[in-house]
Amino acid sequence: MEFDFALIVESVPKMATGIGITLQLLVLATIIGTALAVCTVLMRISKIPLLSWPAMVYIYIFRGTPMLVQIFLIYYGLSQFQAVRDSFFWIALRDPFWCAIIAFSVNVGAYTAEILRGGIQGVDEGQLRAATALGLSKSQRFIHITTPIAIRLALPAFGNETVSLLKSTALASTITMFDITGVARTIMAQTFAPYEIFISAAIVYLFIAWFIQIGVALAERRFSRHMQR
Amino acid sequence: MYVVVGWLDEFLWGALVVLQIFMVGMTMAVIWGLLGAAAKLSKIPVFSVLASVYTTVFRAVPELLVLLIFYFGSAITLTAIAKLINPDIQFVDIPPFWAGSFAISLIIGAYAAETFRGAFQGVDPGQIKAARSLGMSATHTFFYVRLPQMWRLALPGFGNHMLSMMKDTALISVIGVEEILYTAEIATSITMQPFTMYMVVAIIYLVFTTVIMAIIQVLEKTANRHLESV
Amino acid sequence: MIETKSTPIIQLQKVDKFFGEFQALKNVNLEVHKGQKVVVCGPSGSGKSTMIHCINRLEKHDNGRIVVAGIELNDSLKNIDAVRSEIGMVFQQFNLFPHLKVIDNLMLAPRLVRKVKKAEARKIAMTYLERVHIPEQAEKYPIQLSGGQQQRVAIARALCMNPEIMLFDEPTSALDPEMISEVLDVMVELAKEGMTMICVTHEMGFARSVADLMVFMDEGEIVESAVPDDFFANPKSERTKLFLSQILSH
Repeated sequence: MEFDFALIVESVPKMATGIGITLQLLVLATIIGTALAVCTVLMRISKIPLLSWPAMVYIYIFRGTPMLVQIFLIYYGLSQFQAVRDSFFWIALRDPFWCAIIAFSVNVGAYTAEILRGGIQGVDEGQLRAATALGLSKSQRFIHITTPIAIRLALPAFGNETVSLLKSTALASTITMFDITGVARTIMAQTFAPYEIFISAAIVYLFIAWFIQIGVALAERRFSRHMQR
Repeated sequence: MYVVVGWLDEFLWGALVVLQIFMVGMTMAVIWGLLGAAAKLSKIPVFSVLASVYTTVFRAVPELLVLLIFYFGSAITLTAIAKLINPDIQFVDIPPFWAGSFAISLIIGAYAAETFRGAFQGVDPGQIKAARSLGMSATHTFFYVRLPQMWRLALPGFGNHMLSMMKDTALISVIGVEEILYTAEIATSITMQPFTMYMVVAIIYLVFTTVIMAIIQVLEKTANRHLESV
Repeated sequence: MIETKSTPIIQLQKVDKFFGEFQALKNVNLEVHKGQKVVVCGPSGSGKSTMIHCINRLEKHDNGRIVVAGIELNDSLKNIDAVRSEIGMVFQQFNLFPHLKVIDNLMLAPRLVRKVKKAEARKIAMTYLERVHIPEQAEKYPIQLSGGQQQRVAIARALCMNPEIMLFDEPTSALDPEMISEVLDVMVELAKEGMTMICVTHEMGFARSVADLMVFMDEGEIVESAVPDDFFANPKSERTKLFLSQILSH
């Protein structure tokens, strides 16, 4: 057994199509998931139990179960029901890509909602009092004071969450998707050179994670201009 | 739902395997975490650089990929070694249970290293000064002053790592360990009721994670006992 | 009061201390004799805290000599812990161990360092808690006490080691005004019992009543040192005059 560097050089370009799929999963799930998270956190912090309870249950269930199980439930599980197969949604639900998007989005929604809640709770009470004293209404305070401060506070955790989503996209390979990991597993089945193939894939992931972190760092800097002297 | 009853036995055994992976993996993860944190805090550059590489890589590469590297990698390495001794051997592997637990423990260990390091540095330097000013040795100061306060700071992060570890055990079915997700696959192929079977898996995991969350809450309460005003 | 014949219990000679580029102590010379009470004052950042942290080697000085009870503090010193156990220290932020009850805060060091038996350590601890007038708080956690009570516990904790010398690093600066006197009272009592004390503080009333020697520091230097009467009545340096006018003007 020897380590074949040439194989690494050969296999990285083959993964190009996989990178496309991984990025599509990442970007789409981040957008849909974040939108979901904003709705969820607004419900979660509401004082009306009819709104906050469903949000809590949603967060609890999706944070408490493995994502792989959720993916299998959506992709393999839903086909058990004739009604689902007959419905309009079947077009999406029989497609592994959309099943993966759904699973990732609802997860991002649950996790990011908690991150945003942490940010909102981190806003200093005194600043809100000052805003109230100046005569800002409740919604004005939320939009102009709470939101910008909360976003700044939530950004680092949001960055970690996005890297964590990137890692989760590899699970799509278990439902026949050819993302980076899916492509790597195919090449691996042909060559049986696990080190070379999987390490190439790992390097690609490292690069994408690195770009995400740079992006978040830039955003952090932008949102904390007021802190720079 | 009746169909589940016939599979109850298999699910219970699978659940036991999940618990085993969790226990073994968590124990190893704590060891990697402590070693990683110690190396990160070390003044010797080689150690701190190695630890940074470890935590960076294992926190950015997908868990599934790490698992595949370790399982297939160890298999191909072992097979090559075995062939040197006996050319007739076709395939040798580390039992997937151990390869899987080990791989996951390394991932959680990378996160734990950051948590432990943060907790170590999070203890107020004034505490250490006070202990030293009383004439306490570095060792005594560590065990009687720093460690008890680190524990409280590390708990929230550590709780999350326990939850991640529990959920990551599901991945090990991919390399063929016969735990609950594997049971669900077999059961599905016979009963043709995938939703029911995967739902059972989800519920078992939800029970496990709920228990972990409850334990963490109790621990945090005990750890913060002394911080509650009257 | 100053005994000039005996050898001083604390001796600083030409001490320099750097934090990177910044020089925190410049050529500091100080002698403290047994039983003497020294009050150190000066603006923030003047090196007062750094100086007393050097005396029990919580900070290492860079140049010069520091001799405490006949032992020179330097890198070849094997057992710094033994020296530290003879010097009690009280911090601005109290630094009580939050995870231990008051009584356990007091018992920890005697048991670990002095190897005192548990029952004996408890007895010592209770004695000193009575000395600082809060024996009833023994079973509470630090956070459940007021700032003034916490600082008195911190003083008792240091006294439990039966030290030769007590160092006070701005012991009342973090306290609400109404709690300052309860801490100062304990310190005055201690002074009357003959403890050797170095106090960094801006409580000039306390200084007038207990100090044998006043030391004024600015920018890392000892600008002026004199007996309190001279110090307050005719300060020699302009810097001392300015500082005193600022601190006494309100």
